[in-house]
This record gives sequence, C-alpha cells and structure tokens, in this order.
Amino acid sequence: MNHELYSRTMNTRKYLFALIIISILGISGCTGGGKKGGATTLDWWQFWTDPAIKPTIEKIVADYESKNPGIKINLTDLTWGDGHEKIVVAFSSGTAPDIVELGSDWILEFSSNGQLAPIGKEIVTDTGKFYGWPPAIYNGDIYAFPWILGTRVLFINRGLVKQTGLDSNFVPSNWDQLKKLCYKIDSLGGGIRGFGSNAAEKHTLYKKFLPFFWSNGGRIISEDGKYAVISSDKGLDALEFYKELSDSCGMIDTQRRLEDAFLAGKVGVIISGDWLLKRIRNEKINIDFVTGLIPGPQYPGKSFVGGEYLAVSEKSQNKPEALDFIKYLTNRENELIFCKANFSANPSNKETAREKFFTDDPALQTFIMQMNLSKFPPPDPQWVYIEDIIETMLENVLFNGRPAAESLYDARNKIQKLIDEKK
Amino acid sequence: MRSRQSTGFLLASPWILTFLAFWLFPLLYSLVLSFTNYRLLRPSFDWVGFQNFIQLFSDTAFLESLKNTFIFVFGTIPVTTIIALLMAVLLDKRFKGRTLFRSGFFMPSITSMVVIALIFTNLYSRGGYIFILAQMAGLAPPENGYLLSNKTALFSIMAMDIWMSVGYYMLLFLAGLKSIPVELYEAADVAGAGRWRKFWSITLPLLKPVSLFIIVINTIKSFQVFIEIFVMTKGKYGSSSAVYYIYESGLSRFEFGYASAAAYVLLLIIAVFSYLQFKLMKQGRI
Repeated sequence: MNHELYSRTMNTRKYLFALIIISILGISGCTGGGKKGGATTLDWWQFWTDPAIKPTIEKIVADYESKNPGIKINLTDLTWGDGHEKIVVAFSSGTAPDIVELGSDWILEFSSNGQLAPIGKEIVTDTGKFYGWPPAIYNGDIYAFPWILGTRVLFINRGLVKQTGLDSNFVPSNWDQLKKLCYKIDSLGGGIRGFGSNAAEKHTLYKKFLPFFWSNGGRIISEDGKYAVISSDKGLDALEFYKELSDSCGMIDTQRRLEDAFLAGKVGVIISGDWLLKRIRNEKINIDFVTGLIPGPQYPGKSFVGGEYLAVSEKSQNKPEALDFIKYLTNRENELIFCKANFSANPSNKETAREKFFTDDPALQTFIMQMNLSKFPPPDPQWVYIEDIIETMLENVLFNGRPAAESLYDARNKIQKLIDEKK
Repeated sequence: MRSRQSTGFLLASPWILTFLAFWLFPLLYSLVLSFTNYRLLRPSFDWVGFQNFIQLFSDTAFLESLKNTFIFVFGTIPVTTIIALLMAVLLDKRFKGRTLFRSGFFMPSITSMVVIALIFTNLYSRGGYIFILAQMAGLAPPENGYLLSNKTALFSIMAMDIWMSVGYYMLLFLAGLKSIPVELYEAADVAGAGRWRKFWSITLPLLKPVSLFIIVINTIKSFQVFIEIFVMTKGKYGSSSAVYYIYESGLSRFEFGYASAAAYVLLLIIAVFSYLQFKLMKQGRI
C-alpha cells in the first residue's frame, strides 16, 4: 500500500471512528432513571393516557413526590397499540424502566425470562388484601402487583326485555333462561338480535367463550400442567351451546360495534366490561339497561378476568423505592380515587371494593360480585400460543362450519404439543 | 485532492452510516437470524440450520397467508394495470373537466392508506353504504358485512386496493403517453389506420417501458400487502398475507428467527417474480 493511499485510509477511519463515538454518546445520553443529585428518579411506564384519567395519575404521582421529597417519578405513556412491543424491546435491550404496567397475560412472558424482580417476600402481608394474584405467580414467587382488574358481565337492554312481555327486571341466571331471553328478543324482528356474538377479533373472541366453557366445568390444561384437557365433554357442551346461541339469535360483529348496537337498541344481551358503563356515563347515553352475572348451566357461572399489574424490573437500581411507590398506588385511597375518575369497577384492593362508591351502585356491584366468580387464563409462559390455538378453534367452529368435537380435539393436540415441547 | 475526497466522504458519511446501520446490517443480521431459534427476551439462542425454512413449508398458517398473497397479487395487478391504462388513454384526450378527473382519480393515492382502510371498513360493514347498495341491488351481501366473511374479506380488500392505486398508475401511464411522438400517430393517420390499430401498433408497444415499471413496482408492493389487512381484518376471515404473518410471528410472538426465515422466503419470491417479469418483457412476451 503506498503512503498516500495508507494516509487516506487512515483519515477515513478517523472520521468514521469519530462519527461512531458521537453516535454512541448521543444514544447513551438518551437513557434516564437512577439517582441524580441525591434524588432518586423512578421511571414508570404506564398506559392510562386518556385525558379523563391522566390528570388523576399525575395528581397521585405529585402527591407521592410531595410526601417523599427524595423521589421523583418520571412518567412515560404507552399505548395499547404498541405498548407491548416497546416493553419487550426495552427489556431485551436492558433499558426497561424501574416500574412497568403490564397486562395480566404478559406477566409470565417476562417473569419466566428473568426480566421482573420477585417481590413475594416484600409483599407477603398484602396478599390476603388484594384480588388477582394468579397471573402474577411464577415458580412459587410473585412478580407483579395487581392494580386495576376487569371482569366481564351481562348487559341486558331492559326496554327490549319489556317488549317481549317478560318482566323488565328479569335477569337470566342459567343457560336455559339466557337462551329463552335471547330467542324472545330475537323474535321481536325489525333487525333486533337477541345476543351479541363476537366476530373473529384477536384477543377478544376467546374471552367471550371461556366464561361458558369455565361455567360448565371445562379446563384448558390439567391442574398439574402436564396435559391439555380442553377437549372434554364439558368443553364440547359449552362450545355447542355458544354456537347455538350465536347461530340462532346472534348478531356477529366486533366488540365495539356490538356495544354500539346494544346502545342503539339493536341487540338485547351482550357480554362486556366496565368500559361500557363508563361510556354510557360519559356520553350520557339514554338507555334502560341492567347488568347481570354470567349464567352457568344451572346457576350463575364464571367469567373471564384480566387486569393491569405493576411490576419492578429485575435490573432496577431502586427496587425498594419502586415497590414503595407501587404500594402507594394500590392503597385503599388511591385505588378509590382512580376508580372514581375512570369509573373502573374492579379495584384490586379488597378494602376499596367495599367502599360506598361500589356498594351503592348496582351495576358496579355486579362487577364486584362477578369478580368472586371469575377466572384468569391458566398462567403459562406459552399462553400467547394457547390463546391463538383457542381462537383458531373458535373461528373454525363458529364461522367455518367445522364440527365442534373435531376442532376441540385438534386444539387439544396442538396445546399438548406445546406442553410437551416445554418439557 | 486527498482533502477534497475526505470532505466528500465526511459529507456523505451520515447517509453511509445510516445505510450501514439501518439497512445493510439489519438485512444481513436477519439472514443470520433466519438460521437460529432467536426469540426476543430469551437470553440465548441456537443455530438451527434450515429448520425454520422446513417448518415454514409445513406451517398451514404460513402457506395459507402465502396463498392469499398470490391471490392478491394475481387478482389486483392485471385489473389495476388495465383500468389505469384505459383511464390514462381516456384522460389523455382534451375535454372539459379533464384536470378535475385526473385530480379526482389521483386523490386516493395521496391519502393515507390507514384512513382509506378505516373508511372502507365502515363502507363494507353491515349497515355501511356498500352493504346497503348491494342489498338494494339484490346482491345478497354476507349477513355480517363483507369483512366478516371468509368468502368476501380478501376480495373486498383487493377491490379497495385497486380503487386506491389505480390513480397513481394512471398518472405513470399518462406520462408514458406524453413521451410518444405525435408524428407516429400522424403517419398512421396518413396510412389510414383506425383508432384501435393505432392503439395496438403504436400506443401499447411504446408504453412497454412504463408498463414494465408499473408491473414490477406493483408486484413488489402487492407481495408486501400489510396495512390494509392490519387495519381491516387483522388477518382474520382468510385474509392474512405473508407480510402480516411475518408481523405476527416477529412482533406479536417475537419469534425473530422464524419471522426472519419467512421474510427471506418472501424476498426470494419477489426477486424471482421481478426477474421473470424483466426477462419476459425483454423477450416481448408481455
């Protein structure tokens, strides 16, 4: 290599090296959190961005900071559209915040990969005071703190019930009564349908079927976690009942459009969550409705429950402070402030659930009662795949005309394969 | 001289760095990942050779999405190209309001795909205008709307895509028509050629370079169909595409190794099709 070429190459390398260093410094300067000037900064990623609730979150944070002068909370908003992706990327790149809000079905994904700090020992005295621990437990320890939960109940249009000749206070408590009510409403004609049946909408359809499945005694995985048992007689009965309801008097649509139809008096009975109560209240919708527990074959049955949890990153340098803030967020007063502002029906704190705000409102009471009759999906790190299998099975039965027994058996085999691979 | 070269290199380096960091590196890295079982969050991963590729071709969901992608490509490209060509020929003539028509037809191309997809989701749903018009015309639309039926979801998305992209290709054809020398048409007039004769013997052959460009870019775009499906159906009701499948594997289940393998299969298919199109066009078969 001649001198000129060598020198040119070296110059080029210097420029490149300088650029890379500048870029790295720029990127590393973007990360935050930790201890600055004696004060501890806690990074908290959360999903409550709605202008109706965000000021409440900010107020709770400000109150905490004023009571704890050495702590500063750095809030970052996430959206449900891409929040999960951002959290996954943050954990895998080692830039996760101290505290992160997680959906109940995401916790195991992170705890089983060592991304969350175990908090069982620190909160052992709290476990009896809160609902919603099952999704937070992995290998005998607790990895997240339940915050705001959400179960699903029946919403019944009383105006339509009255038109059928039934007492407008009628609320079905078993499958026969539910079927009769939906059929009667459906026979009113004029485009009115009896039951709101969910379309093949991801992360939604299975949540509407599982209440029927669980209420009939169905299980997805055996108690010891070794076998897929979804394809049982009980599971088949539940699936056939749901299909019959959907085929004979169901309005099939997405959850949002079913709720629109319910509010417009076009469908008599739907399964929904507390967000619908909030919508009715906030939009001042004039509708005569009643809420009821999800019916089982004989008596009120089980419903689906999920929720928002707060977890501490395993790499956080401020674990005790982060946990202290989580306990503050989930105490009786703050959960009540939050639920009042957001019209949330299922606080995780049992003391909050006994407050007048909940006991005086019949609709909120239904949610509180249903909470005691609700189930979380089986805690399994592979749940994302199992959910996919169940939704595909439901789509095949409800919309593609595949026999229920065959589809359930197929789903069982696929779930069993996942369990075997895990071994 | 050396100083000028260094300055030039320094000025170009932001682009070079961006190219290396955000284009070439991810491209090569995903090729490496396609031979691994890498999943985000998993601390380590293993080299699995061609296992991901073998698994892909026994994965019914992937094969289904690939089939849908081919239906989309072969269903939309000929229709889009023919309509765009006819519209360009019609709008090449002078008549009152021509600019209005040109702008109107081009408008969907500059509108956000997400906005259009959301509007069409409503138009296709039960109670939407298209649904009601079909009912009035006695066409018996699917009970729950066009997007909630296995028989119509994919075709409804294809129809929307044709409506949306036809204006853009019309504009390209118009540009191609402008480049055809008028003398050729005058000579044909002298020779007594009719309108069809001029179209077949002059217009169409001289539009070949533009047609090739349109077919190639439309093929690449159609093989990568994603936004419409993401917004309108989330891949349900038999409408999943190859890119949607890759998105689901990579960004929903975070199976980066498997998703990378699927992406490379798609890349290979697009490359083969683009090569074949160039080859056939050169040989004058299309």
